[in-house]
Amino acid sequence: MKPAAFEYRRPASTEEALALLAEHPGAKPLAGGQSLIPAMNFRLAAPEMLIDLNAIPGLSGVTPLSGGGLRIGAMTRHRALETGSAVAGLAPLLAETMPFIAHPQIRNRGTLGGSLAHADPAAELPAVMVALGATLVLTSRAGELRLPAGEFFTGLFATALAPGELVTAIELPAPPARSGSAFIELARRHGDYALVGVAVAVSLGTAGTCAGASVALFSVGEGPVVSPGAAAVLQGAEPGPEAIRAAAAAIDRDIDPPSDIHASAAYRRNLAQVLTGRALTRAFERARISASPTEQ
Amino acid sequence: MGQSVPRLEDEKLLTGRALFVDDVQLPAMLHVAFLRSDEAHGILKGIDASAARERPGVVAVYTAADLGEYWRPGPLLVPPPPIKDLVFNAATQVPLVRDKVRHTGEALAMVIAESRYLAEDALEDIVVDLDPLPAVIDLEAALEPGAQLIHEQFGTNLAAHVHQTKGNYATAREEAGLVITRRFRYDRGASAAIENRGIVAAWDARSEELTVWDTTQAPIPIRNGLAAMLGLRESQVRVIAPFIGGGFGPKIMMFYPEEVLLPWAAMRLGRPLKWIEDRRENFYATTQERLQIHDAELAVTKDGRILGVKDRFLHDTGAYDPYGLTVPINSQCTLLGPYVVPNYDSEFTAVFTNTPIVTPVRGAGRQHGVFVMERLLDFAARELGIDRVEIRRRNLIPPDAFPYDHEILFQDFRPLVYDSGNYPAALAKATELIGYERFLKEEQPKHRSAGRHVGMGVVTYIEGTGIGPYEGARVTVEPSGMVRLATGVGTQGQGHFTTFAQLVAEQLGVEVDRVRVVTGDTREFNWGTGTFASRGAVVAGNACHAAAVKVREKIIALAARLLDTPPKDIVLEGGRALVRGTPDRGFDLGDLARRANPLRGAVTPGTEPGLEATAYFGPDRGNAASGVHAMIVEVDAETAAVDIKRYVVVHDCGVVINPTVVEAQVQGGVAHGIGNAFYEQLVFDENGQLMNASFMDYLLPTALDVPTVEMAHFETPSPLNPLGTKGVGEAGAIPTGALFAQAVEDALAGSGVEITEIPLSPSRLFELISRAKAGVP
Amino acid sequence: MIVEGTYTFAGPREVVWNLLLDPDVLAMTMPGTATIKRVSDTRYEGKMGVGIGPITAAEFDVVITMTDRVEPERYAMQIEGRGRFGFTRGHAAVTLSADGAATIMHYQADLMVGGKIAAVGQRLLDSVSRMLLKQGLEAMSAELDRRLAKGSG
Repeated sequence: MKPAAFEYRRPASTEEALALLAEHPGAKPLAGGQSLIPAMNFRLAAPEMLIDLNAIPGLSGVTPLSGGGLRIGAMTRHRALETGSAVAGLAPLLAETMPFIAHPQIRNRGTLGGSLAHADPAAELPAVMVALGATLVLTSRAGELRLPAGEFFTGLFATALAPGELVTAIELPAPPARSGSAFIELARRHGDYALVGVAVAVSLGTAGTCAGASVALFSVGEGPVVSPGAAAVLQGAEPGPEAIRAAAAAIDRDIDPPSDIHASAAYRRNLAQVLTGRALTRAFERARISASPTEQ
Repeated sequence: MGQSVPRLEDEKLLTGRALFVDDVQLPAMLHVAFLRSDEAHGILKGIDASAARERPGVVAVYTAADLGEYWRPGPLLVPPPPIKDLVFNAATQVPLVRDKVRHTGEALAMVIAESRYLAEDALEDIVVDLDPLPAVIDLEAALEPGAQLIHEQFGTNLAAHVHQTKGNYATAREEAGLVITRRFRYDRGASAAIENRGIVAAWDARSEELTVWDTTQAPIPIRNGLAAMLGLRESQVRVIAPFIGGGFGPKIMMFYPEEVLLPWAAMRLGRPLKWIEDRRENFYATTQERLQIHDAELAVTKDGRILGVKDRFLHDTGAYDPYGLTVPINSQCTLLGPYVVPNYDSEFTAVFTNTPIVTPVRGAGRQHGVFVMERLLDFAARELGIDRVEIRRRNLIPPDAFPYDHEILFQDFRPLVYDSGNYPAALAKATELIGYERFLKEEQPKHRSAGRHVGMGVVTYIEGTGIGPYEGARVTVEPSGMVRLATGVGTQGQGHFTTFAQLVAEQLGVEVDRVRVVTGDTREFNWGTGTFASRGAVVAGNACHAAAVKVREKIIALAARLLDTPPKDIVLEGGRALVRGTPDRGFDLGDLARRANPLRGAVTPGTEPGLEATAYFGPDRGNAASGVHAMIVEVDAETAAVDIKRYVVVHDCGVVINPTVVEAQVQGGVAHGIGNAFYEQLVFDENGQLMNASFMDYLLPTALDVPTVEMAHFETPSPLNPLGTKGVGEAGAIPTGALFAQAVEDALAGSGVEITEIPLSPSRLFELISRAKAGVP
Repeated sequence: MIVEGTYTFAGPREVVWNLLLDPDVLAMTMPGTATIKRVSDTRYEGKMGVGIGPITAAEFDVVITMTDRVEPERYAMQIEGRGRFGFTRGHAAVTLSADGAATIMHYQADLMVGGKIAAVGQRLLDSVSRMLLKQGLEAMSAELDRRLAKGSG
């Protein structure tokens, strides 16, 4: 399992990286390498050149935005998101998700931008970005483009990234008032690809009914799958066990899970409903807590 | 003896200073890669390696045609036991495919290049012309008339047929109060050692010596076999099994294609060669264990006493059967367990399939037998309304019934006779530790009313260990005062450097770390077989002990003479031989060693120089270790996820040399067993394609998935060896499948779910639960 | 791997039949870049390249042998694809039935997948094959629309 020969470049700036990308259409950007390198070792991927982004300054880091959200550099390591206080405070869904991503050693190297650009259908972060309504900043030699996460994932390992384009930053909006979130996945072993996972972000109106819900599932189709059905059931409803059960049942129409040697499609369908119900319950509980004690 | 001495080898292992095969770097060394078939079955029409040979950096490419006379199938390593009417069709592996591919991963060509990277590049240049044939995978379909044949010369895919009986099952069945009949499917997997296989071969043309580093569990037989194959004297060949990262069975398989090819090619090319197996290769090129299908029947009285067992099973042996019938014979024998089974009728058919070769993997077929018996007893208990621990208690061989003869033949070709054990006491200890009564009466009802599905399992097993033929050891006291112990068995992490040292240190009165152990090097010791079948401690251990006793006698005799004192008054302690009661009258052992090897003067006729002795030990037959496993699990009824709450092991491996080492073996075995029960399975599709040839999809449990085992030791000494010890290497792995089935079924009691297969998974459990709900079998 | 289903084309059966047997259309419906030539009345040969995510340029040599042709109702084919990443082999059967101005295609394929892609890519095989099938059918449908608009068929 040795990779095929390749050229290696380590640009010192984004401009240099973009120029290399444009010159070498067969080149792949190297971020954390935790998906790319194993694929190369299996000789499933054989890029003629690796463009190592790890030496480029200014591509990593978590900065609060004036509007209350967060800007995360694409090269920010998973481990930084897991341990950082800004993320814990302003994007608790993201903080809750991090420990489920592989293992600490992999999180030491893996990056947010890399994970999103790779768009593995079983990956956690695409679903979380979609649930949070994140915006991706895509940079090319032509300039900068901002794209909602919901439009970024276009299919199986497919994204809206054009040739010669890099994800350079991800922006998370400020969480709304009276909001709650929850992340649940079930995997065969700690750190494995999830059999099914769900990321949920909800908010309550002043009357305690659901003001908004975003339910994003993964490992149930070609990429992160948002369930408009669940959102519609919950919108304006009293978020008790009845509504939650109905919302969980509603996701069934929006997913098309695969069968593989680890789980049947039928099992995944059942699991998706069970986990959605549990996540919604937890998220609404947290929303209620965040709504009190200032408003009772 | 009996002390938890911290392992001497660990510091070296943990700081990266131990030598593994891949650490061997020799000048001018070349690297080898193998082109392996991606079809499971087919006629090889031709191989064109010309483009590969042209590639810069490639030194040679060999196919079967290039081997000439050297090409021949490997030896039959384990002939079938002398059982009446036994049928055995021997077909052994070939070094490179010449006529026909019989499993995915079979080696087609060997590429030798300046680096492994370049060698793998060259693999892509080789053009193979193969006419695919339908693959034979399903065990029952393989035996049907008109099935595609894997070995045409036999006219059948039947590899073996064995029938062993005791008493008369048919009569017993007529008297039964209840007969339980079920079909069971028990699947195993790869050994998945952390270190894959590897070989370095170096031929020194001047000294005419071949040195081979090999991750083998059997360096001495490999040396002897290679010498014969290559036309060399045994003394010209040195095989070294250095530190090895786990064996678990498949590294005792011998004369793998790579093992016979690298030395041959090294001699031809005059340069050292290295081949390190990568993980994907390991799934095809290293042996493994797989499926058995059992149609079994238990006849019991109305109060749950066993009248007889009948078992008909199919065993998947893979494309070749060089290792004989070890695995299915173990299943056949181990099924009897610690129970009185007056009548037994066991018949198996081993079947060739287009999949990699099956040879023992930790447990070596015992798992299958234990599963069948324990499940049959569980089903009988349920139908008769008898408590499942009680039904076992009623059938256990009593402690005064030893030696107990089961009247059938075991894998060592000797009668299956249990030497010692106290099964009722072990069972009682296990139920006490796990809190069986309290769980049944108080805890489980509480869980149930809270809607939680918590269940308990208790299963028993026997592990036949310590079989012959023999092993040997040599103990030498060096002038430095250090003691050197050499033995032939290799070490794959079992703690031999410590346990064997303990045995010698005790006899010679030295600190354990004064004993340096050398294993697995044929230059140091060249008589023996290898590390397998949980026999290291028993057979090699007793040889070490015997050699140490001999040296002890020499020391005492010499010291007695020099101190002019009767031998009975000489004691060995603190590295000295001294007169009892007067510690200032004595000699350091190193000093004695020097005096025992004089440069001048006369020596009494009949004495041997130095303080050194060699001894061998060969048991009359294997002994019977035993144990009980118990577990509490919780099943999430919605997701079918299973959580292990507690895991208890009570085991009896006779007299214990080092309790910590034993506990580690049990803990490791349980991890292996949990993998087998709930995570691991080699998934071959109907075309013989392996669908999970990586650790992404072949799931090994991690430390987070395996509980800490609560353990209790029992010691019923074995009368079959001077130390009274029994083996324990495989114990932890054997009953786990049966335990999972019972505990999960108990958790799901009332759902109608019956578990007759291993492995399980959440998805499969969900399917079983759904089917039970719908009333579908 | 069993793949089966139905697909409705917005066009008459004869046009759809010609579409399905046109090597250029076949090439366009196959994943990635593909070139297919009709080598004889019943045999098509060519190359295709698949790229999904990190798997770049998985090239396959493809041979398709038509059997059992009953124009414009049904045909069957033997499919063989082989490349560095593995191989596929099997047969497929297609039936076309007219449904007013539309055509209902029923397809059924039984393909074995072997080699590296089967050994380490199991997690994705189901999704990938569904995706490739969907892309292929959509490409065919688009070509059908083009032909009908141009008035050719």
